[in-house]
Amino acid sequence: MKAVILTLFVLGVLTMVLLSWLARRDGSKVPGFGDMAGFVMAYQVGRVPVGRIAMLGFWWWLGWHFFAR
Amino acid sequence: MPELPEASAHEVRAFDRPIVMVPLLSLIAAFGGLFGSFTVSANLLVLAVGGTMVWLGLSGRAGRRTAVLRLGPGALWWLVPVLVLGLTELYSFLHGSRDDYPTVSFIFDPILDRYLPRAAGYFGWLAGFWALVRR
Repeated sequence: MKAVILTLFVLGVLTMVLLSWLARRDGSKVPGFGDMAGFVMAYQVGRVPVGRIAMLGFWWWLGWHFFAR
Repeated sequence: MPELPEASAHEVRAFDRPIVMVPLLSLIAAFGGLFGSFTVSANLLVLAVGGTMVWLGLSGRAGRRTAVLRLGPGALWWLVPVLVLGLTELYSFLHGSRDDYPTVSFIFDPILDRYLPRAAGYFGWLAGFWALVRR
C-alpha cells in the first residue's frame, strides 16, 4: 500500500507542475497557481475576508505542523 | 478574466523588494532551522513570524498583486491534484499515518530532522507565506 500512496503523492505534485507549466503558455485557458490562490483569497462574506483568513491561517498551521509541533 | 486594479506604487513599502525580502527570509530560515520540533523556541518563532505575516496579509500593508475575479473552466483542472493529494492524505491519516500508510508529514518529518533540509523547508514556507501576503 505504501508504494501506491507514494505514487499518488508524486502524481499529485507532478500534475501541479504540469498545470503550472501549461498556465505559462501564451493564450492558456488554465490559470496559474497564483491566480487560483488569489481567486480563493478574494472571497469575502460581507466585509469579512474569509478566503484570505482561510489561506493565511492554513499556511500558518502548515508551518507550525512541520517546524514546531 | 476581469482583474482588480493593481496596488499603486506608493502602496508598496521599501521593504517589499526581493533584494530585501530574500536575505531577510533566508536569515529567518537559517535561524529557524536551528530549532527542533516540540521546542518552545520553535513554537515561539513560528508564532511570531506567522503572526506578523498574517497581520501584514490582512492589513494590506505589504501591497497586493492583481487579483483575478473570475476563473474560466480551465481552473477545474486544478481540482485533479487537489483531490488526489487531499484524498490520499486523508486516506493515510484515517489509517493511522504509519509506515504502510504514510501521510506527508510522516514522509517529511525524518528529512526535516536535519538542519539543511529544515532550513530550506523553512525558507520555502516563508517564501510561500510572503507570496500569499502579496496576493
